[in-house]
Amino acid sequence: MIGLRAGISLAIALILCAALAAIAFAARAAVERTIVPAIAAQAESVGRSAAALVESAVTSGVPLDKLVGVDSYLEGLRAANLELAELKLVRPDGKVLGLAGAPPEDDHAQQVVTAVTARTGAPLASLIITIDPGVVSDQVNALLVDVAFIGIVSLLVALELVALVVGARGTEALAALEARVRSLAQGRLWMHSDAAEKSPFVAPIDQHMALLHERHAKARSEATRRGDADAIANLDSLSARTGLGTVHAGENHAATIIRPALFLFMMAEELARPFLPRLAGAMAPSGMEMGRDLAMSLPIVVFMACVALSQLPFAVLSERLGRRRGFVIGAAIAALSYVGSALAADYFLFLATRATAAIGYALVFVSAQGHVIDHSRPHERTAALAVFVRAIMVAGLCGPPIGGVLADRLGDHTAFFGSTALAVLGLLVAALSMPRSEPVKGAAGVSLSELGSALKAPRFAALLFGCALPAKFLLVAICFYLVPVELQKQGYSAAAIGRLQMIYPILMVAAVPIFARLAERSGAHAGFVTMGALVAGGGALLLLIGTSPWIVAGVLALLGLGQAMSIAPQSALVAAAARHVPGGRSAGVLGLFRLIERTGNATGPAAAGFLLATAGFASASALIGLMVVLGALGFALSGRTRASGTDSAPGSEAASTEGSRL
Amino acid sequence: MIRTSLGLIALFAVIAAACVAFGAYFSYVTLQNAHRKAVETRFGVTAERIAGSAQTAASLGIALPAQTTLADLTQREARLDPTVLSIDVTDAHDRVLFSSDPARIDTRESGRTANAVSRRVENDLASTIGQVVVRYNPQTLAAGEHALSGELQTIATPTLLGSALATIVIGLLLAAGLGRAARRAADPAQWPRAARSALAEAEAAHAALKTGERP
Repeated sequence: MIGLRAGISLAIALILCAALAAIAFAARAAVERTIVPAIAAQAESVGRSAAALVESAVTSGVPLDKLVGVDSYLEGLRAANLELAELKLVRPDGKVLGLAGAPPEDDHAQQVVTAVTARTGAPLASLIITIDPGVVSDQVNALLVDVAFIGIVSLLVALELVALVVGARGTEALAALEARVRSLAQGRLWMHSDAAEKSPFVAPIDQHMALLHERHAKARSEATRRGDADAIANLDSLSARTGLGTVHAGENHAATIIRPALFLFMMAEELARPFLPRLAGAMAPSGMEMGRDLAMSLPIVVFMACVALSQLPFAVLSERLGRRRGFVIGAAIAALSYVGSALAADYFLFLATRATAAIGYALVFVSAQGHVIDHSRPHERTAALAVFVRAIMVAGLCGPPIGGVLADRLGDHTAFFGSTALAVLGLLVAALSMPRSEPVKGAAGVSLSELGSALKAPRFAALLFGCALPAKFLLVAICFYLVPVELQKQGYSAAAIGRLQMIYPILMVAAVPIFARLAERSGAHAGFVTMGALVAGGGALLLLIGTSPWIVAGVLALLGLGQAMSIAPQSALVAAAARHVPGGRSAGVLGLFRLIERTGNATGPAAAGFLLATAGFASASALIGLMVVLGALGFALSGRTRASGTDSAPGSEAASTEGSRL
Repeated sequence: MIRTSLGLIALFAVIAAACVAFGAYFSYVTLQNAHRKAVETRFGVTAERIAGSAQTAASLGIALPAQTTLADLTQREARLDPTVLSIDVTDAHDRVLFSSDPARIDTRESGRTANAVSRRVENDLASTIGQVVVRYNPQTLAAGEHALSGELQTIATPTLLGSALATIVIGLLLAAGLGRAARRAADPAQWPRAARSALAEAEAAHAALKTGERP
């Protein structure tokens, strides 16, 4: 049985798909009526200018037949205007005076004819420009891909808003009713303990169940009193089949609760991604010794470094503050920093606001992650972390296009107020939806010896250095550095490269929850981590075959699929490894994990740049892919040589005390 | 609960409508940017050509202010396209040296101008010695943008309303279904088959124990 909330979420997804398809259809018609003629107008402009130049030469006394360099001039025009397939200067008697390019295969290609006339108005020649319909159609298709991407973004935003509404406290009664109706449809007769306040719809169902459970308990006591072992076994088997005698705690909503707040907050930061380098470049003082390129990248470097360095101390701080308070304080710091970024006129002040925004970001990140781990049972952790990862990935997909439009419309500085608004919204949603903070009393910083003992945990070091670090290294090196550089070298536009790069996050958003569920169901977390790394790293080896955009797209798809397989199970394994720290606390271990993971982020571009210069694109990518494959094999082998303590079946983990604040 | 369900349905309808509006607006902005790019490429070609001529002359040792033929060139190029308002050649300090519009000579171009396309003029050492600025009639863009907006609005408005209505209808149907299921769930005789069969099994087991039979 599909509930009201799930059903309407599905319905909205389908309705929006249809609506956005209609808009895309209208967009295509609009493009053909407005943008295609604008491209043709460009050919007319080129034609008029070239014809005027020829007329000028003829007026200056150079006979038309004696003009030199016509071919190279026309070739120059063609090279500067990709949509022009052929340019031909032809005399009225048909003699060709200059030619560049070749006619396209399409017989219906549009031609623009510009007359070259003498001062008297007598026709001297015609400049015939043939427009390449293939190039125009490529441009139109690229635009439609952009519109389709906007559709995906709209859909994702809608689903996040739906999640926000569905996760709201006001819908608890509805959720309780849906849970009971669903249980009955499955033949499960358990008691539900999720409804704090019995609604008139839920109360009669619960009364029947209470009566039934009471009868069952009496029957079992009677059987026990009589010493009837067969009857006891029979009643227990009935309990197992029907859920009689069991109190069902309901679904775990730890990750669902945090998802909307986290999405809003992460989107606040992602808004700035498209315009941040441009803004930093414009703000950099003209006499700066470091150079404009470094000045543009410095705010990003400062942000990343502060986030990475804050992971370990903030993991403990968040425990001390309590998760909700940690989230709220972090979001407040970030919101104030965005205001600072919007108002800062000085470059170094701007850098300082980016550093404080990173501090807020790190505190929100570790608090949200801590909330998910604290409030999920070990066997639910992979799926819960998948929801957490998904919220961040969706924000990463939706933020940049929205931020780009905000910056275009309002200006780069003012667009930061958009980030402020979203961070404040995230703060409010977190304050309203997250459970009251339960600060861990006496939570102390994790000592080096404790981290050392965590590293000695079965397979933990192999997981960190064999899988976590190489995974981020591969992502940043291939997806964010080597692929854009290579495609740019091949002549592809920034927009086309951006579209190709979207393959990774889209696949991640779609596949992370699926693989997380599969990993949870099978309990083979380590297997998923290994397989994911092999797929992602092995994909990079494909570049040894060729570097065409199709192969690059395949590599990015395998990278997305591979990392979707491994990302959530990997975090769950880390959380499980935290049990080996004295006291069984996860904060320091998770901080260490994120620190090492982000080291891969930070070193990726520099190492990839070095490898690119020394080995070339294909070899550099293949080397990095090979490193990931070897790391994964090392991790897999560590499981064969050491007793497996981190990867166990869900049932066996149920006894774990770590993270069981439920 | 009925109020909660109705509130939820209304909220979902608003979300559906808002997201269609969001999608339509962002599609419009994407197309508007593409249109601006297509239009400005045309003026960029002109600016590039004039900048190229100025650079060739500069590399032959003729300083930019001394390239007097640029006055004719700018006027000729401006005449070719009625949507061009003016073509200016400025020095490195943004002072207009030559222009298709003589009134603009010796004025100052102030940074990035709206509805204008510029190309830098560089010397052989790649230092900027000036720039060519083509100012075009904003109507050129406005007409296209108006057409784009009209095309998208025509489809977006009914789509938006349709999405909201469809969400409400589906929501009401689902709510009615849930209401029916809730009423049935309150009466064990009307429970779903799986639950009825589990209940029958349980009752049989309990009854058997009462009568002393083996269940």
